[in-house]
Amino acid sequence: MGGPNDSNVVGAPGSIQLRNVTAGYGQTQVFSNFDLHINPGEFVYLVGPSGSGKSTLLRILYGTVRAQEGWVLVDGIAVHRLQDWQTDTIRRRVGCVFQTYELLGHLTSLENVLLPLQLAHPRMRHARNYATEALELVGLKEKLHELPGTLSGGQQQRVAVARAIAHQPRVLLADEPTGNVDKDASGEIMELFGQLNEQMGSTVVMATHDEFVLGRYPARAIRLQPGALEVAS
Amino acid sequence: MTFGRRHLRAVSRWIWAPRYAFNVLAYCFRCWRGRAVAWLATAAAIGAVLSLAAGSELFLVLSERSLNQQVRSASELQVFLNDDAQQAQVDQLKSRIAAQPGVRSVAYRSKAEALRLARRNSTLANIADSTAANPFPASLVVNLENPSAAGSVATLAAQDPAADHDVPASYTPAQGKQLSAFLSMAQAVVVGVAVAALAVASLVALVLLRSEIRARRAELRILTLVGTPRPVIRFPVFVEAVALGVAGSVVASLALSYVGDHVVPAVNQYLPFLQLGSAAAAVQIISLTTLVSSVLALGVCSLLVRLPR
Repeated sequence: MGGPNDSNVVGAPGSIQLRNVTAGYGQTQVFSNFDLHINPGEFVYLVGPSGSGKSTLLRILYGTVRAQEGWVLVDGIAVHRLQDWQTDTIRRRVGCVFQTYELLGHLTSLENVLLPLQLAHPRMRHARNYATEALELVGLKEKLHELPGTLSGGQQQRVAVARAIAHQPRVLLADEPTGNVDKDASGEIMELFGQLNEQMGSTVVMATHDEFVLGRYPARAIRLQPGALEVAS
Repeated sequence: MTFGRRHLRAVSRWIWAPRYAFNVLAYCFRCWRGRAVAWLATAAAIGAVLSLAAGSELFLVLSERSLNQQVRSASELQVFLNDDAQQAQVDQLKSRIAAQPGVRSVAYRSKAEALRLARRNSTLANIADSTAANPFPASLVVNLENPSAAGSVATLAAQDPAADHDVPASYTPAQGKQLSAFLSMAQAVVVGVAVAALAVASLVALVLLRSEIRARRAELRILTLVGTPRPVIRFPVFVEAVALGVAGSVVASLALSYVGDHVVPAVNQYLPFLQLGSAAAAVQIISLTTLVSSVLALGVCSLLVRLPR
């Protein structure tokens, strides 16, 4: 098949390509031989019922789940080839908003955004400024020094969004980012993603089943069914 | 000029490194500060376990040393001479014994001298005084470097015409071997118990460290998810583990010093037959061994922590 290897990074920056990907958990296959191409700077929704593989697809792109077969290119990185100890290479380049926020409870909002910048981006200067700006952008200027436990679900989600966008990634992956917030907060998060997509040219892939978001912010949608892949605009 | 610019570029290329090192160290400190109480409790527990292990090891080492000294001081073997032996035969036997490996020196003891010594000995004094004739034979007093040489000297004496045919030596070869074997066994027991004590202490320390790491599993997972390089994630865990080893060893060393300075002299005073002697050198060696082994065991264990993909 002649898939790409690590030393031969292919694909345009910000693009996502999957070829003949088979993946799953143990004996359970979630995807079998599917292809996908997302252009740089594109905004794409992953939609489908629970268990259709939206989160799994995002995990494959983020390197959390390894494809059993086929190849996966994200922002020019051959993610399918990454060993466990190499996964930080893709995660430094890609931003990800997790469904369960994944915030460190003993750190403040600012520290939650700042720490990954300081530890995962050794050459980044003025990391504190980037972190503060990201939190201001998601409307948490007044909550910089609050612990996650004292924030509402929506505010915690926004801290997670700030962490994902603070290093201005070329690819942003988001797993139900509006799932636990009200319509106003959903609107703010979507505006933010739109801004990142339009002004900075970031590719955004967002898993959602939020009809409000799908109706108000139309974009290409990839509809997933359990065991099958259907693409619709 | 070009040389200067090249150097400037090299410096600016690496200028991020100290900042990054500072950030990583700050992160280590923050991790430690957040769990300071749990860390101190773990360090105290590891210190207590290491103290127990090191304390028992100290007494074992001192006992073995005392036993060794007592055996070596008892390494004086007598080859009893036949009353009819000629001086030339005695001299020949003396030089043959002196040539044996493990023999330090050989001296002649006359019948008169043997009688004089017997009169000073509480066990033999009665025999010496009750007979008109001198019942004690002349002998060659062999000073042994190594107690295991007693067997070969006794065998040699038994075959020599100058030696007494019935009781040629104060040790039989079997007794010499027994003595040597006993000493080797005592040393092996000390080494074995030392290894076992350190293994048990390390095992307990590892269990404590593992529970520490379990408590941080969620944090380690999140740091992996946000792209922190694995060595950076492992570094605070490694530093904490090594620090636990050092802190535990310091506690153990303090406890050991107290035992060496106060308990061992008290034992020497109240149980003088044990002859434990000074513990200073043993305390230093055991403290150092405890430090090295605990730091190694905990450091290696912390590197074996499995991180999620």
